[in-house]
Amino acid sequence: MALAREVYQAFEDIVGNRNISEDIGVCETYRSIPSQTSAHYGPSKEWTPLPQAVILPGSTEEVQNIVKICNKYGIEFKAGSTFWATMAYIGGDNAVQLDMRRMKSIEIDAKNMAAVVEPFAIAGTIQAEAMKVGLNVQIPGVGCSSSTLASSSGWAGFGPASIFMGANPENLLGAEWVLPNGEILRTGSLGSGDGWFCGEGPGPSTRGILRGIFGPAGSMGVCTKIATRLHPWPGPKQFRTYGKAPAYKADFGDNFKCYTLCYPDWESWARSVQYFHESDVLYIGHRQFNMFGRNLKAFMLNIITDPEKQLSDLPELLKDPEIQKHNDNMKHDYQVVIAGMTKRDMEYKEKAIDYILEQTGGWKHEMMLEKEKHDYALAYMTRLGHKNLNYVMCGAYEGTFGLSGNVWKTIQVVEEASAQKRKWETEHTCIAATGGDSAMGGVSSLGGGGATGWEFFTNFDSYELESVQGTSDMVDENQAFHNKYAFGPDFCRWNSDVRHVNGYSYTQEEHDEMFAKAPQPWIYAYQYKIREAVNPNHLCGSYLRTLSPGKLEGK
Amino acid sequence: MALQDLRPMMERCSSCSGCKFIPFEKIQSVRFAENCPSIGYYNFHTYAARGRFQLSQSVLDGRTELTETVTEAIHSCTSCGLCDVTCKITRYNLEPLAHNLEQKAYAVEKGAVLPAQKTIMETLAKENSMIPGTKKKNRTDWAKDLNLKDLFKEKGEIAFFAGCKYSYDEKLQKTAQDAVRILQHAGVDLGYLGAADNCCTGRAKQMGYFKEFDKGANTNIKAFEKAGVKTIVTPCSDCYNSFKRQYAELGMEVEVLHVVEYIERLILEGKIKFSKSVPMTVTYHDPCHLGRQGEKFEAWEGIDKKIFNQIHIYEPRKPRYNGIDGVYDAPRNILKAIPGVNLVEMERIREYSWCCGAGGGCSQTLPEYSAWTAGERIAEANSTGADALVTACPWCKDNFTDAEDEDGNKMEVLDIIDLVHKAI
Ligand SMILES: Cc1cc2nc3c(=O)[nH]c(=O)nc-3n(C[C@H](O)[C@H](O)[C@H](O)COP(=O)(O)OP(=O)(O)OC[C@H]3O[C@@H](n4cnc5c(N)ncnc54)[C@H](O)[C@@H]3O)c2cc1C
Ligand code: SF4
Ligand code: SF4
Repeated sequence: MALAREVYQAFEDIVGNRNISEDIGVCETYRSIPSQTSAHYGPSKEWTPLPQAVILPGSTEEVQNIVKICNKYGIEFKAGSTFWATMAYIGGDNAVQLDMRRMKSIEIDAKNMAAVVEPFAIAGTIQAEAMKVGLNVQIPGVGCSSSTLASSSGWAGFGPASIFMGANPENLLGAEWVLPNGEILRTGSLGSGDGWFCGEGPGPSTRGILRGIFGPAGSMGVCTKIATRLHPWPGPKQFRTYGKAPAYKADFGDNFKCYTLCYPDWESWARSVQYFHESDVLYIGHRQFNMFGRNLKAFMLNIITDPEKQLSDLPELLKDPEIQKHNDNMKHDYQVVIAGMTKRDMEYKEKAIDYILEQTGGWKHEMMLEKEKHDYALAYMTRLGHKNLNYVMCGAYEGTFGLSGNVWKTIQVVEEASAQKRKWETEHTCIAATGGDSAMGGVSSLGGGGATGWEFFTNFDSYELESVQGTSDMVDENQAFHNKYAFGPDFCRWNSDVRHVNGYSYTQEEHDEMFAKAPQPWIYAYQYKIREAVNPNHLCGSYLRTLSPGKLEGK
Repeated sequence: MALQDLRPMMERCSSCSGCKFIPFEKIQSVRFAENCPSIGYYNFHTYAARGRFQLSQSVLDGRTELTETVTEAIHSCTSCGLCDVTCKITRYNLEPLAHNLEQKAYAVEKGAVLPAQKTIMETLAKENSMIPGTKKKNRTDWAKDLNLKDLFKEKGEIAFFAGCKYSYDEKLQKTAQDAVRILQHAGVDLGYLGAADNCCTGRAKQMGYFKEFDKGANTNIKAFEKAGVKTIVTPCSDCYNSFKRQYAELGMEVEVLHVVEYIERLILEGKIKFSKSVPMTVTYHDPCHLGRQGEKFEAWEGIDKKIFNQIHIYEPRKPRYNGIDGVYDAPRNILKAIPGVNLVEMERIREYSWCCGAGGGCSQTLPEYSAWTAGERIAEANSTGADALVTACPWCKDNFTDAEDEDGNKMEVLDIIDLVHKAI
């Protein structure tokens, strides 16, 4: 169903004819295939619905005018900034897709340690601009091609550097929102005309409503600008690298070290994490390369750090007993980066690491101390520019299980989860057999330390239906495990209550049915009221979980 | 290979945006972070490698027609290959450039072409040139006074191949003539193909005209063979890529050198000596087809298979063109050897150099877009504080010459041959 001519014309009048398209070929490229990108309701082979038009606004004013037209004619809309994530795509037939790509400005406020950024400012460019003045930005685990505005205002935002820099929900200082009804809301100090320096005021703080912990995923209108907190960067003003593509390596100087720390068992692993939470030593902490799986990680590290090697070298490398030894030595591991603000600070941090290792029986992984591997890992962890390696093995992966919470809780179940995944690796062929344990995630997903957030990298082939379906079946089985330990939905199905597997939004009736039975239904009823206040025409899909208050009666 | 054969690749793309930026580790500013001229100009997702993969699926599944917009989208890829380099930073089994070209070939086969492409291809068919308005009979006029041996008549092993642009463009002919004089002065016994000198047809391939490329290439390969050519020297980066990569794939075994490689060699051998100082600060633009697409062809025959259930590998390992072994150092070494020249680098260089906008036929088929692309490079070159932008390809030079950045600034543009000539 094409847009009525007057509607299309109204949009075109706002953005100009170069910035709108209803060509079917163009619109087709704004559909997501959940088997290929983080969707959290998959894996599935179904594409999200086709937008009626794609619109590229260039300013807040244009966004506001587009939203007003949408309200006038009852057209759904959704904003996406980079479209890494399936959440960014529309979920209905009568909808237009907003691609925020034209808005990408970055202003660094070095004095207030903040960056004011637009939607298509990716973390990599913000980091590059911030480093020029000795500052850094928190890059979520998805990598530096993600939109910092999206991870601050839209969805998730936790990363390896969160232990030092906090997560992006925490880093959000202020935002400019075009609400779904077309009104503009400016939060925090910005809302009182005092600039971008504080998210909580003077001025309205809507952190709990518009952002929350996971974010509204585009269901609360369009965010056009945010300020994010920046953090100290004691390194060079440019992200200095050496080496050949694809294995670029960091050349930051002596006040940076990247270690792979290993422990004899999970108990000592957890103790070390706890010590790090208490000691303020880490710049970055993440169990990163275990994403390649317990059986393959050292071998994969030998591939990705060497520009001459490729996946096809894996069978040959697997015969190398030296690498096998290294692999065996990194079973309970994580990567850390320390950054010395001064020489003494660096010495202190080195000593603190040694002390923690001594207390826990841990060690620095030898292979990862080799200069080239060290420098590669340092570049990797600092910029997160190689994050698409997530997909390198098969073309698709899903994070399964999703063990988020206290480390002591996580380590009690990690082996059981690994065994369950291993069973699927050996009894079925749908997923890559990487060794059961492929748990990857932060040493802390909160500033200063606290909860971890782990997912098991489950690699499958998005091209093969059997592989996609098999992975989905595996996730169904994982859910029983999750229910047993009260971990909530499997990571891979976090969004299964906000979008159908076929990519379409839920109706209010469907949500009512789901959430009336939820343990705390009034939360959804509260969200319903918020939505009614700012989105009376229900134009931004069903990522906001709502329950009609009438359905609460009697509870 | 047909577009459908690349379906697995299309479905394994992960929407990571790697094909919209230079390698992330190399980003130094927001201004010069992006890599793809096509999405840079048109802005819709459709125009980046990711969108192109998705577009192909939709076309093959019959949901998308080859409309005017789709046709322009397909042919607006300058085939610069930068998305190929950046995608391969993390992926070992995707080849966006091969896909983009195959997508163009599909469009060509279905008749979905740009009006200017038709004119170019008619000129190729009639006059054996890529430049409409030119005549075969004038092709070698530029070489009249140069004492170049006609290798069909006189014995010689080294063929100078100017290519269409240098042969016909009066503004550029002097550069080609100087290249010949520099080599001759250094004692190189240089010849050319004379009446058999024709278009290399590389740009036809870049536009998706695979059959026409094959035809032209095979004719040329035979001509080189018949003339007894052992080495081809060309000052054109498009021709260089054709001979070194594409002709090699068709079985040609002749040594291929870009003029910069030959000059560098002659400097090292002491056969070229600089006697004059050229006091200027310059920045160097790596032509796509000399740099990242200047890697040599390696034959491969094998299969793709899966290990550990689903891990995708090639057996035997497949050559991986990710740009790192292109021709980058030779031009820089020449510039460093010229007295007085001070080389300053732009942010996007070597394998992640920004395209000049002329590739894929775009300077002729989509001139506004192509000029914008060149203007972006002018802005980057100006940001270095250099006096001039130096390059090693006539298509790049021509495209930069009148280009302006967004503030209307221009820049002096030189072919590296011009600088060498000034210094001798
Ligand atoms: C492979 C992969 C790995 C991931 N790993 C992590 C991880 O380790 N840690 C983590 O925290 N997250 C992770 N994520 C999720 C990721 O954080 C989000 O995708 C990211 O934070 C948002 O940035 P984006 O560039 O993906 O934005 P987009 O894909 O453009 O959008 C993400 C969401 O934000 C909304 N949005 C975007 N722009 C706007 C706007 N202007 N106004 C309002 N809403 C907007 C969209 O509608 C969508 O719901 C991962 C995602 C993928 C695909
Ligand atoms: S870089 Fe490669 S994998 Fe990533 S979106 Fe582009 S084509 Fe797909
Ligand atoms: S080859 Fe160049 S122009 Fe074509 S899609 Fe890739 S980066 Fe863009």
